[in-house]
Amino acid sequence: MKKILLIAALTMAPLFAQVEGDIEVPYIPFEVKMGKGFGEVNANCLTCHSFGYVTNQGRQSKAFWRGKVDKMIVHFKAPMTDKDADIVTEYLFEEYGNGKLK
Amino acid sequence: MKRRDFFKTSLAGAAAAMATSLEAGVTGQPIDNRKISTIAFPEKRPMITYSDRPPLLESPRSTFANAITPNDAFFVRWHMPDIPTHIDPKHYNIKIDGLVNKELNITLDFLKDPAHFEQVEVTAVLQCGGNSRSAFKPIAGGIQWGHGAMGCAKWKGVRLSDLLDQAGLKKDAEWIGFNGKETAAYYETPNFVRELHLDELDDHVILAYEMNGEDLPYLNGFPLRLVIPGTYSDSWVKMLSNITVTNKNKKLFFMDVAYRVPDNECECETPEKKFKKTKPISKMNVKSIIGYPENGTVLQTKSHVVVRGVAFDDGHGIRDVKISIDNGKTWKSAKLDSGEAGRYAYRGFSLAIKPMKYGKMTIMAKAINKIGQEQPLAKDIKWNHGGYKFNGIDVVTVDVV
Repeated sequence: MKKILLIAALTMAPLFAQVEGDIEVPYIPFEVKMGKGFGEVNANCLTCHSFGYVTNQGRQSKAFWRGKVDKMIVHFKAPMTDKDADIVTEYLFEEYGNGKLK
Repeated sequence: MKRRDFFKTSLAGAAAAMATSLEAGVTGQPIDNRKISTIAFPEKRPMITYSDRPPLLESPRSTFANAITPNDAFFVRWHMPDIPTHIDPKHYNIKIDGLVNKELNITLDFLKDPAHFEQVEVTAVLQCGGNSRSAFKPIAGGIQWGHGAMGCAKWKGVRLSDLLDQAGLKKDAEWIGFNGKETAAYYETPNFVRELHLDELDDHVILAYEMNGEDLPYLNGFPLRLVIPGTYSDSWVKMLSNITVTNKNKKLFFMDVAYRVPDNECECETPEKKFKKTKPISKMNVKSIIGYPENGTVLQTKSHVVVRGVAFDDGHGIRDVKISIDNGKTWKSAKLDSGEAGRYAYRGFSLAIKPMKYGKMTIMAKAINKIGQEQPLAKDIKWNHGGYKFNGIDVVTVDVV
């Protein structure tokens, strides 16, 4: 069964600009579907970017999500095992897929 | 089933199931109903928020009823999760090295001193190459921006050419690399470095420390960013820290892979047959956006409504903006602002209309620049894999009651 919850406090990035005192980029609690494989998503994807970056793509095909995972590995050098890459792709397609393989 | 056949079938199926503007394979209008977040980022009013790491903020459509975008409503796009947590402008240095006669390492105060550099201003549009990307079907990967990944500000700073003159370029200098202070979570991830050929750098290119009379907002690149009027924002490096002159361009992800379109006349391709040769997105095409009214605005019949918006291109300048309220059958020229802000700025436009009929009414805006280039209908814009350079005629649908 799908459970929807908000992930709390990953990291807060404190910032300081020309304004007085310390300021922070706010943490946005993006809605996350806690499906099978979310642990791998958390470990491999959310180290570098927010979940909003993912869901903004909308519901997509399996090939689309596979392409995104590959892009992260090939171009952005995400240190991800082949096994985790498969699990993350499955999670994305299961929770944010459009039902089409291509 | 062959891939091509599969695509045709799914296209027909999707077209039957979806509204006309969302047909697969047909470019429509970008998503325009995203909610403004309740959470504000530093120095910003609440905006459409896609991500907090990296920060990705879009300006709502109403922003484009004015020819200058306020700093606190100006869109934000970073590529990397780590932005320095502390910047002390008193100790911020900018370094120029590589193929120069004299390496420079100068402070912000030195840069801002008219005794060392002439201080110059340019009003220019900053637009993400993927602005309006959500118009493309099938989806082009990347942030699914509506129209609000753009803004126009008066930038103040010093000419890049003056800086390079002071350093003195060596004979074989050819490429200028720009590096900002954002960094990735992993050392191996490519840095957001941009390289420009010397030929691309004219006197309008500046290193800006001020935006609309204030320090740059932190999220727009405080304390110093590159401003390249007429080009898309991918090369307007934020929190600029290093300028390196070389004679050979490097292999860079953000130059060689991202921000490129097919190198053919239509700059187009199909999802099943991508065009191999690509080129940088570089110069902006002619575009206009209506700021008021918006989709869903309720207007009274026989009321006096002033349609307002902005138009721009890559610096040729806007000659005309035409408005249609009858689905494109007839067009009327809008009144343009003085144009005093210069050829790289938004040209504000306005037109008084009087809705006469009850029901839905569409308002369309089409800009034409001084060399006669005009915006195409959205449906005539062909697909490209990155969803770059959308400039379809803007359409808003209002309710007349």
